[in-house]
Amino acid sequence: MVNLENQIFSSYQRNPVLFDEIFDERGQVKEVYSKLFNLYGEHSINDYVNLNEKAKSSFFNQGITFQVYDKKKTQEKIFPFDLFPRIIPPEEWKIIESGAIQRSRALNLFLWDIYHDKKIIKQGIVPMELISSSANYLDQMNNVDPPGGIYNHISGTDVIKHTDGQYYVLEDNIRCPSGVSYVICNRTALKRALFGVFNHYKTYSVTNYAENLLDLLETVKPKGVDVPNVVVITPGMFNSAFYEHSYLAKTMGVELVEGRDLFVENDFVYMKTIQGPQKVDVIYRRIDDAFIDPLEFRPDSSLGVPGLFAAYKKGNVTLANAPGTGVADDKAVYTYMPEIIRYYLNEEPILNNVHTYHCSRPKELKYVLNNIENLVIKPVDEAGGYGISIGNRLSKKEIEVVKAQILLSPRKYVAQPIMSLSVHPTYIDKSESFEQRHVDLRTFTVLGKDKEFVLKGGLTRVALKRGNLIVNSSQGGGSKDTWVLKT
Amino acid sequence: MLARVANNLFWMGRYIERSEHIARYLRVNYFSSLDAPNQLSQSRQFVLRSMLTMIGETVEDESLILNEEDVLYKIGLDPNYTSSIINNVRSSRENANSARDLISTELYESINKFYHFISNYDAKVYSKNGLHDFTLNVTEMSAILRGKVRSTLMHDEIYAIIMMGANIERATQIIRIINAKHNDALKAQGSYGDKFKNSFEWTTLLKCTESYDMMRRFYKKTPNSISTLEFLILNPDCPRSIMNSLNQVCKHIKILDSNKKPSRNSTAFLVGKIRAEYEFKCIVQIENDIQSVIDNTLSSLYQISQKMEEEFFSY
Repeated sequence: MVNLENQIFSSYQRNPVLFDEIFDERGQVKEVYSKLFNLYGEHSINDYVNLNEKAKSSFFNQGITFQVYDKKKTQEKIFPFDLFPRIIPPEEWKIIESGAIQRSRALNLFLWDIYHDKKIIKQGIVPMELISSSANYLDQMNNVDPPGGIYNHISGTDVIKHTDGQYYVLEDNIRCPSGVSYVICNRTALKRALFGVFNHYKTYSVTNYAENLLDLLETVKPKGVDVPNVVVITPGMFNSAFYEHSYLAKTMGVELVEGRDLFVENDFVYMKTIQGPQKVDVIYRRIDDAFIDPLEFRPDSSLGVPGLFAAYKKGNVTLANAPGTGVADDKAVYTYMPEIIRYYLNEEPILNNVHTYHCSRPKELKYVLNNIENLVIKPVDEAGGYGISIGNRLSKKEIEVVKAQILLSPRKYVAQPIMSLSVHPTYIDKSESFEQRHVDLRTFTVLGKDKEFVLKGGLTRVALKRGNLIVNSSQGGGSKDTWVLKT
Repeated sequence: MLARVANNLFWMGRYIERSEHIARYLRVNYFSSLDAPNQLSQSRQFVLRSMLTMIGETVEDESLILNEEDVLYKIGLDPNYTSSIINNVRSSRENANSARDLISTELYESINKFYHFISNYDAKVYSKNGLHDFTLNVTEMSAILRGKVRSTLMHDEIYAIIMMGANIERATQIIRIINAKHNDALKAQGSYGDKFKNSFEWTTLLKCTESYDMMRRFYKKTPNSISTLEFLILNPDCPRSIMNSLNQVCKHIKILDSNKKPSRNSTAFLVGKIRAEYEFKCIVQIENDIQSVIDNTLSSLYQISQKMEEEFFSY
C-alpha cells in the first residue's frame, strides 16, 4: 500500500519484485512523477471514472476504432487508453533516441550489403543461412539500388525497461510498423480530458511526425524529379490500421490511394484522378511485400499494382519501406545486432540486446530444451505477438508440445531469458482502481538521405491482463500517452 | 483528387442531405397532422402513407392498415431497410471514412458523432415517444455538417464535388416532397370545405421544406398551390427551391470544368441547359400539369448525376 491520503492510489498494490516506473523500492514516488502523482490525487475515483468515459468518447468521435464481428452485428470498439501518462526523463530519452538511430542506420547498411556484395557474410560475421533461409529475403531485390540508398525509411523499435533499470531492445520492426497515429491520438485524448496536468511539465510535442516524414520522403525521390508527388497506399477501409493510413495522408497533405487507383504505363506509375492520370513518384506503402505487385509476387493479390515492381527497379518510383526489408527484422537477425552495429558503424551498441539462444545451433538448442521453463520461445518470422510461448506459464504437457515444435524446425525458433518488463500504474475499469501493469515502448524512427528523426514520445503499450507480458494490441493491450520531458 | 474518392464524396454529400429531408418530413407531417383542420389530414393512416410515398414506397392498397411503430421504425432505424435514416447516415460516414484524408478533422468528427448518436438511439424510445427528439437531432446535426463543409473545407474541387452531391440531392428530395404532398392534396380535396388549391397540405409542404416563414414574408398571403409551387420550384432566393439548387450545381460544376464554352457532351453543358429551362419557366406552365413537371425534374436530376458519373467518376 502507498500514501493513503492519495485517494485514487489508496488501494495500489506494489509487488516489490517488479520494477515500478513511478514508485521506488521503498514505495516513495519518484521525483519526476511527484507532481503528477499529487495532481491525480486531487481527483476522487468518481471523477476519474467520469474522465475515463470522456476520454473514451473522444476516441469514438475521432473515429479511432476497430471492428469486432459477432453473430448478430459488427461492433465498433476503441483501443483501450489509460489516462495516467508515462514520463521519460531527458537523460533516459537521450539513450533511447541515439540508440534507435544507431540501429536504424546499421540495419540500412546491412540491407544494402546483403542485397549487394554480402561482405558481412563473406567475412563470416553472420552466417549465410540466416539470410538464405529467411522467408522475407527477396531475390528480386538483389543489386537493386533504392533511391537515396535507403531501405528502412520508417522503423519501429520496441524497447523495454528491465528490473535492472536498463533499456533493452526487444524487436526492430522495419516492414510496415504501425502505431504512430495512436501516439498522437493519445496525446489529444489526454489533453481533452486533463489539460491542466500539462501546465506542470514541459513535454515535447508529438504532432511534428508527419511533417518530418514528408520531408524525409522527399529526400528519397527518384532521380530527375523536381517536386515529387508523394502518396500513401493502403489495403483499404477495412484494414485495422486504416485510421493510421488516412491520418498520415491527411497530415502530410498527400493523397491516400488504394491499389486500384494506380496503374503503371511504360514503367511509370500514375493515379487515376478526376482530371485524368497523374504521375506518382514516392509511395509510402502500408501493404506487405507479398501484395504490392501481382506480376512479381503473389499473383492473387488485388491490393497491389501490376507492374509496380518493374517501375521500382527502373528507379522511376520510390517505395518506402523498400521491398525485402523484412529479412532484417527477423528475430534471428536481431540476435546479431551488436555485431552488425560494430561491423558497419564501428561503434558500440547504445541500447542493450536481450541475450538470445539460437535453436539452429546444436549446443544452444540443447540448453533451450533443458531450460524451457526459464525462457521465452519465439518464432523468428512472426509479427504481432503470435506464436510466443513463455516458459514459466506452460504446463508440463505444453512444454512437451513446444519442444516437439522446436525439434521439427529449429531454424524457426529462438529463445530468450524471460525479461521482466517494468510496470506502470494503470487504471483498471473492473476494479475501479490503479494496478500495476507491464509496459513497453515503441519508438518511431525515420531515416532519409542524410536525414534522421526520432519522434519524441512513442507508444507506451500496456498489457491489461494482470501479470501478462505481451503488450500487442492484437493480444488485448492498451496504451498510454508518453511524455518526453524537455531538459 | 482520385476519381474513386470523388465519387465517395459526392455520395457523402447526397446521403447527409437525404437523411435530413427524410427526418424533417417525418416530423412535420406527424406533428402537423395531430391538429390538422380536416379529418383526412388528421388520420394517422393518411400520414403514414404519405411518409412511405415520400421515400418511394407508395402503398397502393387502400384497405391495408399500417402499423405506426413499424412504419416509423422502418424509415428511421431499420438497419435492414436500405433507405432508412440510419443507413443513409451509415453510408455517408462510410464515404467520409474513405476520404478522411481529404476532409477536415472537424467535419469528420461531426459526421462520426452523428453516426454514433443514431446508432446508439434506442429503437423502443424512438417509436414510442422519441420521434420528435430523434428527427430534430438529425436535422440539427445535418445543419452542423453543412456548416462544417462550408467553413472548414477549402472551396476547391473537393468542396465542389460535395456541394454538387448535396444540391442535386436537395433538389431531388424537394421534388419528392412536392410529389408526396401534391398527392396528399389531391386526395384531401374531397373533404369538407377543402379544395385542392387551398388545401392545408400546402402549408405542411412548406413546413416540410422549412420554407413556411419565408414564404409568408414573401407573399403575405395564406399559401395556395400556385404560390407554394412557385416559391419552391422557381424562386431563386428560396434556399430550398429547385431553381436555387440548380444555380448551386451550376456554380460548382464551373470549379470542376472551367471551360467558358463547355463541350456538348459535358456535365457543365447539361447543367447549364437544364438550369436555363427553369430560369425561363412560368408558374402557369407548371400549374397546368404539375405531375409532368415533377417527373421531368426528377429525370433531369438523374441525368446530371449519370453524366457526372461518366465524366468524373468512372475510369
